[in-house]
Amino acid sequence: MSVAMVLMLAVMGLAFDFGRIYIARNEAQVFTDAAAMAAASKLDGTDAGLDRARQAVARLPMRWNLGTKSFTGVVVKFSPDKQSWARVTAPDNQVEITFLRAVGGPPVFTVLAHSVAAAKPVRLIE
Amino acid sequence: MIELAVSAAVMVGCLAGTVQFGYTFYIYNQLVTAVGNGGRYAAMRTYRAGAPSDIEKGKAAIRNMVTYGDARPAPDALPQVPNLKPDQVEVDWVMDDSGNPASVNVSLIDYTVDAAFGMFRFTGKPAVEYPFVGRFAPTESEP
Repeated sequence: MSVAMVLMLAVMGLAFDFGRIYIARNEAQVFTDAAAMAAASKLDGTDAGLDRARQAVARLPMRWNLGTKSFTGVVVKFSPDKQSWARVTAPDNQVEITFLRAVGGPPVFTVLAHSVAAAKPVRLIE
Repeated sequence: MIELAVSAAVMVGCLAGTVQFGYTFYIYNQLVTAVGNGGRYAAMRTYRAGAPSDIEKGKAAIRNMVTYGDARPAPDALPQVPNLKPDQVEVDWVMDDSGNPASVNVSLIDYTVDAAFGMFRFTGKPAVEYPFVGRFAPTESEP
């Protein structure tokens, strides 16, 4: 009975926890794609352009965890010339593991996504 | 016998829940991908605004991209996600102070997942916002 229970928790964990992890990864990737394009579209070689780029990323209303949580700790980096590309990383998306932790899995799984967009023209390049 | 009856009831319930949530998550993941691709397409396409009907045609192309993965799908095209219809895709353009398109919001309204043992309804999610980086053509018409 206990063996069957462990197996059942593992199956439920695969479906439930991995399902949420894959969704979070997909949501984070879509967010960083949009954020990188938003940042790249503001670059003009000046520090003011960098500020506008950071603000454009911060203004994006997109959410993760089935659309319930805001992205936090988003990192925005730029090319040294301040006008070629922008890289956005969403490093802090921690999915709480529900079932797999009962069979030895970690309590949380961190999902990371990053995108790079060129500025002229604005296109995703990574 | 009683033990089997009790444990079978629990197991069937757990397996039903697993199927229900697993399938719903699978569909939601596909919706996130479809809406994200549609949003990126909207952000990069030419915004033609020769007449109000051109704006609507542009929105229809974006809805088709979300639904079918193709702005001009064949008449017998199948949706990327089961039962998804173009009418369930909301496209909103955000204009800047000069009247130029600044960004586009794409989301789903009233999409229901039929997951065998239950239904899940999504309204307003998944949702994306992309900056408009395409060409603005205020006098052109959609082909």
